[in-house]
Amino acid sequence: MDVLMKLDRVTKTYHMGEVTVNALRETSLDVFQGEILVILGPSGSGKSTLLNIMGGMDLPTTGEMFFLGENLSRAGDKRLTGYRRNEIGFVFQFYNLIPDLTGRENVDLAADLVDEPLKVQEVLAEVGLAERMEHFPSQMSGGEQQRVSIARAAVKNPRLLLCDEPTGALDYQTGKLILALLVKINRERGSTVVIVTHNTPIGDMAHRVVRMRDGTIVEIRENAAPLPPERIEW
Amino acid sequence: MSALNNKLWRTIIKTKGQFIAVVAVVAMGIAVYIGMTTAYQNLNTSKEKFYRDRNFADYYFHVVKAPQQVTKQIATIPGVAGVTGRIQKDVALINDFNQRATARLTSYTLPVKYEINSLQLLTGRFFAAEGVAAQPGEQTRTGDIEVLVDPQYAEGNRLDYGDTVSIVAEGRVVPLTVVGTATGPEFIYLMKDAGTLLPDPTTFGIIMLSRERAQEILNLKGQINQVLVTLVPGADAKRVADQVEEVLEPYGNLAGYPRKQQLSNAMLEAELDGLRASSRYMPAIFLGIAAAIQFVILSRMVRAQRLQIGIMKALGYRSRQVILHYTGYAVLVALCGAILGTLLGLVLSSFMSQAYALYFNLPASIGAVNTQAIIYGFVLSIGISSLAGLTACRSVVKINPAESMHPELPKGGAKTMVEGWSWLWRRLDTAWKMSIRSAARNRGRFGITLVGIVFAVGMLVVSLFTLDAVDYMINKHFYQNQRYDYLVRFTAPVKESELLNIERIEGVQKAEPLLEVPVRINYNGKSEDDAVTGLNPGTSLKKLADPRERPLEVPGEGLLISQRTANKLGAGVGDMVEVETLLGIGPSRLSTIKIVGISNQLVGGGCFVSLQQANVLLQERQLVSGVMLKVAPALSAGLEAELEEMTAVSSVLSRQKELDNFNKNLEASIYSISILVLFALLLGFAIVYNSSVISFAERQRELASLRVLGFSIQEVSGILLKENLLQSVLGVVLGLPFGYLMVKGYIGALSTDLYSLPVIIYPTTYVYAALGSFFFIIVAHLFAVRGIKQLQLVEVLKNKD
Ligand SMILES: Nc1ncnc2c1ncn2[C@@H]1O[C@H](COP(=O)(O)OP(=O)(O)OP(=O)(O)O)[C@@H](O)[C@H]1O
Ligand SMILES: [Mg+2]
Repeated sequence: MDVLMKLDRVTKTYHMGEVTVNALRETSLDVFQGEILVILGPSGSGKSTLLNIMGGMDLPTTGEMFFLGENLSRAGDKRLTGYRRNEIGFVFQFYNLIPDLTGRENVDLAADLVDEPLKVQEVLAEVGLAERMEHFPSQMSGGEQQRVSIARAAVKNPRLLLCDEPTGALDYQTGKLILALLVKINRERGSTVVIVTHNTPIGDMAHRVVRMRDGTIVEIRENAAPLPPERIEW
Repeated sequence: MSALNNKLWRTIIKTKGQFIAVVAVVAMGIAVYIGMTTAYQNLNTSKEKFYRDRNFADYYFHVVKAPQQVTKQIATIPGVAGVTGRIQKDVALINDFNQRATARLTSYTLPVKYEINSLQLLTGRFFAAEGVAAQPGEQTRTGDIEVLVDPQYAEGNRLDYGDTVSIVAEGRVVPLTVVGTATGPEFIYLMKDAGTLLPDPTTFGIIMLSRERAQEILNLKGQINQVLVTLVPGADAKRVADQVEEVLEPYGNLAGYPRKQQLSNAMLEAELDGLRASSRYMPAIFLGIAAAIQFVILSRMVRAQRLQIGIMKALGYRSRQVILHYTGYAVLVALCGAILGTLLGLVLSSFMSQAYALYFNLPASIGAVNTQAIIYGFVLSIGISSLAGLTACRSVVKINPAESMHPELPKGGAKTMVEGWSWLWRRLDTAWKMSIRSAARNRGRFGITLVGIVFAVGMLVVSLFTLDAVDYMINKHFYQNQRYDYLVRFTAPVKESELLNIERIEGVQKAEPLLEVPVRINYNGKSEDDAVTGLNPGTSLKKLADPRERPLEVPGEGLLISQRTANKLGAGVGDMVEVETLLGIGPSRLSTIKIVGISNQLVGGGCFVSLQQANVLLQERQLVSGVMLKVAPALSAGLEAELEEMTAVSSVLSRQKELDNFNKNLEASIYSISILVLFALLLGFAIVYNSSVISFAERQRELASLRVLGFSIQEVSGILLKENLLQSVLGVVLGLPFGYLMVKGYIGALSTDLYSLPVIIYPTTYVYAALGSFFFIIVAHLFAVRGIKQLQLVEVLKNKD
């Protein structure tokens, strides 16, 4: 399988006055094209930090990050913006939609950024929001907001979809629907999907599961037969 | 320091940009208030003290000539408190610069302190009543006529003790010896007449001398030509005046007017009125806007710190304590603003006092510090800020500690009015939609900011307007209406044929005669003094216009009445008025004449008839009192020299010199205009900055998620700018016409009998005002979104608030 992203001995250190926090220590990881990767670990283990670096939202303190062979670990703001714009779709735990835009307009906003976006209507229909797309975020449930957020990430047809606790704020049923959506996008569009969670069973739907502890990867496990999300229990 | 005080302090540090901005606005308001109020108080107090000390007249009467004993008779009229008879006459003055100037000879009886409109000696000593005998050690010659001159004239002509000035009186050149400078309550603002644009001490001055010497020089032994009267308090001025005029009737009444119409007093009062108007409305704008900004800052703070307030309440703080804590922010703003503003205000008032000292001859020092204004400034500033603070924080009461712990419902998201216009809405890009909805959501803040911008833009228009009005006046007066290069006036009317002497002077390209006759116009039981100028129909050196600025021709028959007099009399075109001549020579003549038009001169006013008709009014033939000249520029110096030699010439008005004088005075106003423009820009900056900072702070999370989506810094900043522009463009669009209204209001507050600035605003001024506005808008925006580069995506997005 082709390597989409290569992380090579990445560290991230925060200085808070006297205290130094090693959020990531010499972490190396290859992400393959078209896979679903789930990153598991307890709170504070560095999952979000790793994901943010992968998404070009943050730079590693040391170590290298390659995306399709291009070294981005020292890239400037301009390059990183372009990288996020064209290659990355982000889904957050708390949706982070623009409150002043309707569901459809939130997706439009992302579609306007790229040269060849998917059809906004279609993507919204795919996530099951065709009916409610003219509503504002304040008029939607959490699950609906998260679907808009996924549509917003997917409409750019990004190579890499990064999801930080996408089900964290949702109930069990809704969470499963959201995960199913991610699998569908992975299968139909071929996007690589990375999901961060502290919810171990979710690992069962992944092609590979990465376990983190204390800022570093302690285990990478391949899943011969990933389960469809509907069959996962937690 | 308690924990709450610590918190207040940290809040100020965190919002220091906004804190400084609003302090600056308060400071400007207080500075303007203290500066203008102090200047007003100082000017007014020294005026009143001067009037009181020097016994300023309540009523003036001009006669052709009357025996000086007539004052005894006037003194017996009930209601009259004091009477002074004197001689006052304009004579030609010959000075070293070879330029004809006018001196107003004014007589006094020693000791002056018993006189009405008495003198205040500034330098030197009083003149002697009689011809002076040589004193040992002094270089005085027997027979010297000693005089005092006004200080501006002395300075303008570099006159010192013992210098000689020469006047032309009764056809003779008379040398006068200057023994000092003095001023009087009627000489505070020195202008020759209402037709003059500005004081010009090089061409007009006051010469004060003893009554005996004045009578001698002017061949008026035992005579006076002016009577000044003070009234007992509560006297009916009009009735007393009628009685005085009755007494003076046999001696040829020329004019009678109350203090209100005395030129110097009227100019001073006009300035005071303007100052008082500005000292009220300018601070009101600044402080009002400062209050609005504080309201916005604090409302937002209370909303953003809802959770903290809930916690404080849960801990047991009372609502009142919390409210006081937040209002403390406003009080601190007010205190800092008031302190800074007071310092600035003192500087401003000293600048203004210096400027006034330049224009007004007021002997008492006018640099006093106005403690009352300072105290009021503090009270005003703290009062307004506290009010804004308390209003903004009143929602604190409603915050329930338990509820505040729950996350607030996601705000926003509502259709706006604009969405009804789907043809427009469909054309807007997503960023505009965001901006419009966010504006609609924050309607209160949007509205307050909008009003603030409207005021700032309006102030810009008002500040720049002065330049337009002045430019317009110069253009109108010097280039369109007044086409002559010189206006030569004679000491007494001469036969038209004598103009040949002037026409033959080398360089004269065109000469047109005029006859100026002071008159009283009676209509419908009312009467008004004015001047009638006779001009040849078809004159090319003087252009007349009606109130709507349409050109008027000099009529063969009938009167073009001045707009001011027409208004006062309630007379209009077609009415017959009675015209009574008030020329100092010969008896006064009465005639009835029809109004055929209304004339409106920017400067001076006055009525117009044909030259022939003017002669008819005087029952004379072919008399002229002056001549307008068009002169080849290269030969003007020679012409001036020749006119200098002519004793029959009383004054020579040179357009070039008037223009120079005008431009010199304009330089002083440029200074104050720049200050006003600066204040307006700062005001606008503070408003826009504040609203941008708040909107940036509130939307950090939103902006961060846009950055994650792949928006560049410029694009995100562009979204904020769009929102900013939405209110700013609206503010500018509304602010420009609002500025026009402000100008109108301002002119309305200023307009006097003497002059009125036209409400003229050039299109370029609107353009400049708009450019200035966009300048402060963009600068404020850039300042406010400086933090956008440092926006920590990870940080901002990590927590749900
Ligand atoms: N800006 C920061 N400054 C200082 N320390 C930080 C910062 N961001 C993260 N950390 C620290 O880095 C470590 C890793 O944080 P990270 O957010 O990656 O954990 P996580 O695995 O995502 O945890 P959770 O499951 O709770 O989200 C933590 O100890 C955290 O305190
Ligand atoms: Mg995390």
